[in-house]
Amino acid sequence: MRRRIIFLIALVMVLVSSPNALAQSYGITLGLGVASVRMDDMKYLQEHILGTYPVEGQITSSFPPFTSVSLAVFKQLYDHIRIGGAYTYSTTGGKSSYADYSGDISTEFTAMSHRLGAYLSYLVLGGDRLGLSLKGRMDANFTSMTIQSAYSIYGYTNGLSNKYRSISPSGSVGTELMYKLKNYSLGMEAGYLVDLSGDLKNSESGNPLLDPNDLERTLNSDWTGWYVQIKGLIWLNF
Amino acid sequence: MGRYISIFIVIMLLSGLGACFYSDTKIYEVEPVPGDPPVFSVSTNLDTLYNPAVNDSLEVIYNVEISGGELYYLYADVGSTSIFESDSTSGSFWIYPTLADSSGIDSLYMEFYYSSNSNSLADKAGYEAIIEYLSFAIDFNLEDKK
Repeated sequence: MRRRIIFLIALVMVLVSSPNALAQSYGITLGLGVASVRMDDMKYLQEHILGTYPVEGQITSSFPPFTSVSLAVFKQLYDHIRIGGAYTYSTTGGKSSYADYSGDISTEFTAMSHRLGAYLSYLVLGGDRLGLSLKGRMDANFTSMTIQSAYSIYGYTNGLSNKYRSISPSGSVGTELMYKLKNYSLGMEAGYLVDLSGDLKNSESGNPLLDPNDLERTLNSDWTGWYVQIKGLIWLNF
Repeated sequence: MGRYISIFIVIMLLSGLGACFYSDTKIYEVEPVPGDPPVFSVSTNLDTLYNPAVNDSLEVIYNVEISGGELYYLYADVGSTSIFESDSTSGSFWIYPTLADSSGIDSLYMEFYYSSNSNSLADKAGYEAIIEYLSFAIDFNLEDKK
């Protein structure tokens, strides 16, 4: 693993410092789209919490595909190769609830992912206007997960909120199709993200979020899934 | 043309801000189907007495029989003074002459709270009850003591 990281860093350094770079253009891309997530442990925890309700509640949402926004800066090293740094924000969540004339009870999960990393893209098909690239990206993925439970019975309310976080490495591969206009390009990107699931720890106490049925196991966040984004690219020619 | 595209993009971005925070406003609403209410009966040693008298003291003995439910609590008051509370289905407590008011006749109120079996959230959490009331006129015999 260490060797691979060193190799990747060396490769990036060689590419960036290459004196024979054919193009020196820089650019910014902004993407807006949807990403699916796996979140098996959180779905499992959601089921478990629902089972502790004194009544038969229902899961109304369970980590559906939701918003994904990304911002990247890049350098066009060669006609076909581009490297850059990127930030991606994704969010999703879940909710289970029950309500009747006497009151209500609910549990909400809110998950946010902040991914920061570097990418490399290779233009496989390109013309004057249209370009199809393959893209690989490595990130550090910071997850923030809030779990809130609350009930209200005949006007008496009570609740509990806990915040957890995790850090995990992640990588993605994708395809980018861009159409070049004047100083900007428009297009889309689709790909698959593999998140090496990070153990969730309480943000305040640092205690791990344990599996309620197996206290030896720590539950984790897992953002593995497909993503698709509409993208805008602005060229900055210094 | 470029300006209009920029404005369009900014409007699109602003309109999508809400989507940056996941939320689900749906609530699973249920109309509970009530079960049969518990069969409840209570007997006391005062049942057959007319205006039981408190001389030095008066012991009140009660016994609750309940099936298909649970007794949550019993509260006993003389007038507006609370004198006893319990979650036990049988027990006893004492009434003393110090509880008498000026009229010499007061009321003993007993309230029995037990499960409603409505199958609502409040019922399942033990926050909803059927209440059974009992009351007895208590004679503190103030005339005899004068």
